[in-house]
Amino acid sequence: MKPSSFARGHAEFAEMIMNNRRLLRASAASAPPRETFTQLSSQNMTNTIKAFALVALAATALGAQDSTAGKETPPAPGTPKNFRVPPRRNFTLPNGLQVTLVPFGRVPKIAVELEVRTGIIDQGPNDISLASVTSDMLLEGTTTRSAQDISRQAAEMGGSVNVTPGSEVIAVSGEVLSDRATAFIPLLADVLLNPKFDEADLKRTIDKHARDNAIALSSPGTLAQKRFREIMYASHPFANVFPPEEMLRGFTVARVKEFHTKNFGAKRSRLYVSGVFNAREVEQAIRDAFGGWAEGPAATENPPVITAKRQVDVIDRANSVQSSIWMGTPVADPANADWVKMNVTDALLGGAFGSRITANIREDKGYTYSPGSFIWTRKKASMWVETADVTSNVTGASLTEIFKEIDRLRTEAPPQGELDGIKNNLAGVFTVQNSSRSGLINQLEFVDLHGLGDEYVTNYVKNILAVTPEDVRATAERHLDPQKFSIAIVGTKKDIDKQLGEVKIIRP
Amino acid sequence: MRFSRPQVLSLLGLAVIAGACAGGDADTAMPSKLTVDADYYTLANGLKVVLSRDTTVPTVGVGVYYHVGFRNEPRNRTGFAHLFEHLMFQGSGNLGKMEFIKLIENNGGLLNGSTRFDFTNYYQVVPSHTLETVMWAEADRMKGLAIDTANLKNQQDVVKNEVRVNVLNQPYGSFPWIDLPMTANENWYNAHNFYGELKELEAATLEDASAFFKTFYAPNNAVLAIVGDFDATQARAWAEKYFGSIPKVDQPAPPDLSEPRQEKEKRASRVDKLATRPALGIAYHVPPRWTPDWYAMGLIDQILGQGRDSRLYDALVQRTGLSSDVSAGINWGLGNMFNYEGPMLWMVTVFHDRDKTADSLLKVLDVEIESLRTTPVDSATIERARTKMRSSLYSIVEEFSGLGKLDLLASFALFDNDPSKINALEDGFAAVTPDQIMKTAAEYLRSTNRTVYTVVPGASDRPASGTP
Repeated sequence: MKPSSFARGHAEFAEMIMNNRRLLRASAASAPPRETFTQLSSQNMTNTIKAFALVALAATALGAQDSTAGKETPPAPGTPKNFRVPPRRNFTLPNGLQVTLVPFGRVPKIAVELEVRTGIIDQGPNDISLASVTSDMLLEGTTTRSAQDISRQAAEMGGSVNVTPGSEVIAVSGEVLSDRATAFIPLLADVLLNPKFDEADLKRTIDKHARDNAIALSSPGTLAQKRFREIMYASHPFANVFPPEEMLRGFTVARVKEFHTKNFGAKRSRLYVSGVFNAREVEQAIRDAFGGWAEGPAATENPPVITAKRQVDVIDRANSVQSSIWMGTPVADPANADWVKMNVTDALLGGAFGSRITANIREDKGYTYSPGSFIWTRKKASMWVETADVTSNVTGASLTEIFKEIDRLRTEAPPQGELDGIKNNLAGVFTVQNSSRSGLINQLEFVDLHGLGDEYVTNYVKNILAVTPEDVRATAERHLDPQKFSIAIVGTKKDIDKQLGEVKIIRP
Repeated sequence: MRFSRPQVLSLLGLAVIAGACAGGDADTAMPSKLTVDADYYTLANGLKVVLSRDTTVPTVGVGVYYHVGFRNEPRNRTGFAHLFEHLMFQGSGNLGKMEFIKLIENNGGLLNGSTRFDFTNYYQVVPSHTLETVMWAEADRMKGLAIDTANLKNQQDVVKNEVRVNVLNQPYGSFPWIDLPMTANENWYNAHNFYGELKELEAATLEDASAFFKTFYAPNNAVLAIVGDFDATQARAWAEKYFGSIPKVDQPAPPDLSEPRQEKEKRASRVDKLATRPALGIAYHVPPRWTPDWYAMGLIDQILGQGRDSRLYDALVQRTGLSSDVSAGINWGLGNMFNYEGPMLWMVTVFHDRDKTADSLLKVLDVEIESLRTTPVDSATIERARTKMRSSLYSIVEEFSGLGKLDLLASFALFDNDPSKINALEDGFAAVTPDQIMKTAAEYLRSTNRTVYTVVPGASDRPASGTP
């Protein structure tokens, strides 16, 4: 248990696909963590290593159904207690900045997170990583503070300033001791509003990106995800997160400044505060620090059209003892009526420890340690994704079993008992995922980004519990058409190609 | 912390007493002390029980910690402690394969287990009304395993795939978390490959599992810890009802884990066919737990290695751009400075470009190390380190629905028979002086007390190609 792995505002994707995935998934069940650029960097790779603790259950499975005669049965649970997500207060500054305050807990700390609706979505074809480079540059100093000043001042408040660039949101955030709230808010504002953008810092930041990209692309999982993105997002900016080095080297201070000016502004931003704080003082600090921020343009609305056709791409990587598989298809997004049903379907099929695919390819066949599915969500664009690193000689067999499970769910409604277990699990996990300052903020920003309204949170458990076996079957049938799956595999190509011929769904 | 007096438990699991911190000015005033209330006692069979209540959220965390880690696995069975951890999910007297997991998940809970240097733990977070069910299930698997060769074979395959995905098929795989302990330590218990050689994992038998279970998975070698929303009287009654009848087992004498004082710098290196950039890892043996030097070492870690304000980040990233980041820590990769018992290392890791040598980075690092060994830090530096440490303690105690707090309480119960040590931590760090830091650095950050490990990239930068 590392403080870094759970205390960070955002569960990181790289970690999620590694061994601690189920625990981290807890904070991601209905509000998937925003993926970041840095998720694909060495930094995250080392974070992933940090999370190692020789964990038994990357994911695991259902076993025998009923206790046999003569065995003791577990004592029945007591009466469930109600859990209510703490209510929030919203207000808007004259320049359009929206603010959400949500008191939570008793520990004297606050989480502050400013979300700007920009990111990869605002990159042109020659700007791959420009949003990420601009984000890094925010921490390199302001007109009145050096990079060291920012770091030291935040540390003296018991925290740090973090900039997390994502596909459609860039977050500037931190957690500090409560009594430093009114000092931390102006520090965040300074980082966001008054960056210095200096030539030497840009050179160093570009070197860092080049180094981190080279390291990230030596990891098979990153390679598979890279190719999968390219396939699924096609010509949309989300498709590419690794620039060629010449493109990266071409970034100038002028272009960074331009990206910042064009895409950062009050009108497309929301500030969240959660934890223990004095609401009146915090509101005043926010008005003072952000009142003068320019409105700027509205957020870009450009949802991707996710590829829905069958294709398989094998990327040859020498010395691979496993095949890293990423496969997926577009599904209901959060604004779609099938969203909640899709969440249940995902958990039952591949998302939970006890899910069918995991039961099959891990606990029955031992093909893999780390299978799992999730719903990868952008505004108005979601896809269902299954990933697994499998022993090379069972690549074809793994795909066959995964499609077998998908087909089975499309044709037969799951038994009520199995479904009830999964629904209970999602309902319980919902409490856990909303039980921390940053978990709460993640949940609210999910609601806000997708325009769901707070009733989404209020009704979530009720809606989960209302899903029927036939709903799950029909949802799988509507959204998980095996003919519309794209698959990226990284491994030893000559061995994999041989096996793919045996997978009916791929080479009929 | 109050012991054996459940009636006087505070309603707050985490109470914070406000006040100015020692030595700080009014501006940096912050809560001065982390205080965790808990109830601690031992059942007649030797099972230690720690209960710490916090009703903020209707969930409860349950952990069973066994005092056996990968240090003390059998000599010809590397990786066995971890393989065995997997087996604990494969079936017990009243729960068939995976029924344990189903029971927790279907009651709305999350669960996992992990293997560390000095313990193996099993833990879950569940809605509070299911506590009794979970305690029954944990007791069931403490009573005995019910696994067959098919379960064993399946988990051998799963663990081999775990080693592949985390080590064999990954660039840097075993770096630094396996490589550095194996190189820096002399004693086999501390220096073997704890993830396991595939051959030795394959050789494990049901008899091995049975012997390991019988020896180490006894109530008198374990702690049951519960944190969160529960009724203390009920929890005590259930602990007695479900765990009280499990017989105690005489424990073998603990192995000698001691490491000799290192007198000469060690260097090791390997070529990694999958890596594209060089990596440098440095490890120093750290002072024994609970000594003034150990507390000082904790602050040294904050000063040198934690956060963007740290000296190594400033030197290696901010000022020179030699690396993109610095990772450092005591028990790095497998825990924190509080949840281990035996000899331990402080590690620093950086990745760098091919046109720079490891020695050129070491030179920059050495300037910072030597400065700490020869010059007392100023008061702003030590106060910032204390603030960071205090904040990090809060983070640990809060993380993942209280499991971080559970981890500290269980560790201190297991290793020190005294979970109230959690409330002494801040005093220990408060007592550290600039002189103590210099003295500790002078002894423990000697170049002759360190191991330098480098990974040489054997792969080209050109990414693998696709075939559309």
